[in-house]
Amino acid sequence: MSVLMSLRNIEKRYRAGEHDFYALKGVDLDIDEGEMVVILGPSGAGKSTLLNLIGGMDSPTGGELLFEGEDIALYNDDELTRFRALSVGVVFQFYNLIPTLTAYENVALMRDVKDDCEDPMRCLEMVGLSDHAHQFPAQMSGGEQQRVSIARAIAKKPKLLLCDEPTGALDTDTGREVLRLLLRVCREEGRTVVMVTHNASFARIADTVIRVKNGKVVSQVKNENPESADVINY
Amino acid sequence: MTRKLLRDLLENKIQFLSIFLMSFLGIYVFVGINSEVTGLKACEERYYEECNLGDIWVRGRDFSLADMADIKTVNGVKNAARRLETKGKALLKSDELGDDPDLTLYFLEDNDISGIKIYEGKNYTPGCMGIWLDKTFAKKRGLGVGDTITVKLENKEFTEKIEGLFYHPEFVYYVENMASMMPSYGRYGVAVLDISEYPLDDPEFNSALIDAEDIDNLGDMTDEEKILARRIGERIKIVLDDKQLVVMDKSELLSYSTFSSELQQHRSMSFAFPIVFVLISLLGIITTMSRLLSRQRVQIGTLKALGFSTRRIMVHYMSYGFVLSFFGSIFGALVGYRTLPAYIIGMFTDTYILPYMRRGFSSLSFIMIVLEVAITTLITWYACRRECALIPAEALHPASPKVTGRSFLEKSPLWDKLGFSVRWNLRDIMRNKLRSLMGAAGAAGCAMLMFSALGCMDSLTFITGWMYGEINTAKTKILMEEDTPYGVTVDYAKKYGGQMIQNTSIVLRSDTAVKTGTLTVLDAGNLMHFQDEKRGHIVLSKKESALSYRMAQMLGVKEGDFITWNIQGEDEKHRVRVGQIYRNPSAQGITMYREAFEAMDCKFRPTEILTNMSVDTGLKDEEEITDVQSMDEMMASMDEMMDMMYSMAAILITAAVVLAVVVLYNLGVLSLLEKRREMATLKVLGLSTKTIRGILQQQNIWVTLVGTLFGYIAGFGILGVMFSDMPEGMDYCIVVYPLSYMLTFIGTLLLSVIVNHVLSADVKNIEMATALKGQE
Repeated sequence: MSVLMSLRNIEKRYRAGEHDFYALKGVDLDIDEGEMVVILGPSGAGKSTLLNLIGGMDSPTGGELLFEGEDIALYNDDELTRFRALSVGVVFQFYNLIPTLTAYENVALMRDVKDDCEDPMRCLEMVGLSDHAHQFPAQMSGGEQQRVSIARAIAKKPKLLLCDEPTGALDTDTGREVLRLLLRVCREEGRTVVMVTHNASFARIADTVIRVKNGKVVSQVKNENPESADVINY
Repeated sequence: MTRKLLRDLLENKIQFLSIFLMSFLGIYVFVGINSEVTGLKACEERYYEECNLGDIWVRGRDFSLADMADIKTVNGVKNAARRLETKGKALLKSDELGDDPDLTLYFLEDNDISGIKIYEGKNYTPGCMGIWLDKTFAKKRGLGVGDTITVKLENKEFTEKIEGLFYHPEFVYYVENMASMMPSYGRYGVAVLDISEYPLDDPEFNSALIDAEDIDNLGDMTDEEKILARRIGERIKIVLDDKQLVVMDKSELLSYSTFSSELQQHRSMSFAFPIVFVLISLLGIITTMSRLLSRQRVQIGTLKALGFSTRRIMVHYMSYGFVLSFFGSIFGALVGYRTLPAYIIGMFTDTYILPYMRRGFSSLSFIMIVLEVAITTLITWYACRRECALIPAEALHPASPKVTGRSFLEKSPLWDKLGFSVRWNLRDIMRNKLRSLMGAAGAAGCAMLMFSALGCMDSLTFITGWMYGEINTAKTKILMEEDTPYGVTVDYAKKYGGQMIQNTSIVLRSDTAVKTGTLTVLDAGNLMHFQDEKRGHIVLSKKESALSYRMAQMLGVKEGDFITWNIQGEDEKHRVRVGQIYRNPSAQGITMYREAFEAMDCKFRPTEILTNMSVDTGLKDEEEITDVQSMDEMMASMDEMMDMMYSMAAILITAAVVLAVVVLYNLGVLSLLEKRREMATLKVLGLSTKTIRGILQQQNIWVTLVGTLFGYIAGFGILGVMFSDMPEGMDYCIVVYPLSYMLTFIGTLLLSVIVNHVLSADVKNIEMATALKGQE
């Protein structure tokens, strides 16, 4: 499997008053193409910061962020926007759908940022929501909203699908359903999925498990026998 | 994204509707009035061009054919024509319009300069028979083409067949006599005949009309054109070797100047209000957009994370301001163009006589629309630039609350003595300065509009009372015929215990300006009173000349300066020192006592008598009496003149009230929306809904009071603009009665309290858990 993204000596520093605070420091890791990567760690470990950097939503204060061999850490705003538009799909913990658009319109919105998008209806069919295409987010359950969010993310056919605590706001059954969907996207569609969570049991479904603590990567382990979403405990 | 825009607009319809409405109203008023002014100006120019309105009038001798030939040789003269101007009476009866109305008679040789425009009937051709009547007079008197009319000229009566009805470019506006403030067409008229029809012996061509080469009929007469006219006049005097000739250019023509200044006044008004509306709509857009954006912060983060560029998102949010102001302006322009000019022109037709009165769209309206849209869009950009510039990782999280230290007030010992609600509100105001400022600005806007509208009404009402309660305290005015022997006038004055007054048109000159005005000469009596610049009572010196305040401003002179004047139609110039400055709302010029006048070797020729006695109505029928006017009639005539201003004020007041409600409601909704979380907190802390609503109302009242105070100041500014272009003959005072201060105060406060009360009813619906959820 080829490497899609490599992080080399990445640091993210914030200034808090007179002191510097490191959200991430000396992070090295590789993400292979087509993998299900799970980033684990307790609250405040730096998981979301890491995800933001990988997705081009923020820039590191040091280190190299190589995507298909190019250092996106050197990108300016416009280049980062283009990177996000063409290569990254994001699934948020609280779905972040545009409340004034219907499910279909939320997915179709992606046509505005990328030309060769998947048909929005097909994406909704994939997540099993073609019946809800014309409902507004407020008319849907949390699980349904998250599935729309996934449909929106995959509509762009991104190389990298980033998920920030995608089941964090969902109950056990709905959470499992969402995970199944993400696994399907990864295994059947061949997309690289990077998922951030604090739930250690997610490690069982991953191809690679990265553990983060106090802004550092403490381990990066390959899982030879990834399991199905049914094994996840909440 | 377009759908998001449309749905966002729908979701925030009240706020956005208010922005739409403000753009609409501003452009509505501007385009409406501007189209009226543009259209009428174009009609006026076309009319003057068609009739070739004269540029210069020379009077003061019998112009022979040789004279005319000489005049035509003068440098700058394109063409010249002579006519015989005189006054007669039409022998007609009418209960309503009075018997035997005055008729201004023009006996012509041709129709080349200041020609008549035929409304109905035959064209005038040199040498033809019959009489042509001014259309308005004829219609009011029920006369038509083919009828006959008997005219009395001096002692000769002659009957003519009416060949046609006309419009005359020198009579767009004309009044009965100098004392009239308002036309009452039908009581007097204009007639045109060929010189061959002159019924008396030895016709005397007493007027020469000049069409100047470099003076056109486009726009108002410029200063260069006035100088040119004066030079041509001087050259004519030299060519004819006659220094006594009186030269007048068209800017001195009552009809021309009154109509021009009326249009100018409308133009000024048309600017003042859109600016206010645009400013208030900007206030609306800046608050609405900045609050919408802070609410949509996470959405912006999401869009960015999904790959939308900052520019794209910025354009999206700027399009809110663009779409609303664009449609508001276009709609305002369309409705304004279609409705307002017709309404104003409708009011004009009673006062001004033009063959056509149409609206017209000017490029200025277009520029105003572009400006309105551009400024609103720019302000939207300003309001959203901060949120849009955030990097997605930041924008995806709600803004962290501002950390502010304890203010000076909070540290003072007084702080602990204040009640909870006072402390809460003071803190809230200090921590949310922009929001409080916007709230105060909204109240200020509302108060300003109410105050200026009420102040406008007060100032207009005041003028009538000022003129006929403070300055002229006579009960009746008796107007004498022009050639009444002095002894006869004295007899009438004695009979009615009256004060004789001479009112004469004069030309006044200072080093910098030339203006026409009125000379008022007072005989002994106490029916005219005088006031200084600040309207304090003054006694006029018997020895010196006094100049009216407005005329002093127009001439650029002050007390102690010298000015020159001469009676229109006479060449003798008098240089006088301005001894005093007095104010008079309706006549601008010089006032002096008979003693001072006669000391200049001038002959006192009274034109009217003021008296405190009641006068028989039959007196009007006396040969030497032109008219008898009671004070009530004069006040009614004055009020009638103010009608136009009232109507304009009414349009603006209506717009102001709509605006006030919209602005206060909009700001109230937004402010409460922003405070939802704080109110939820207060609820959690155990405060009752009633207490919380009380706290909100308290802050609202403070903010409104501060705003109202600024509203008064701004209101005075608006009044200044509204009154800055009164016709030259008028003086005005900005007067605002205490009642208007009170009404503004009560109106603004009441409106604000009601809006707050209605909106704060929502406090009881706030669910503490929902309101506090999801906030970090």
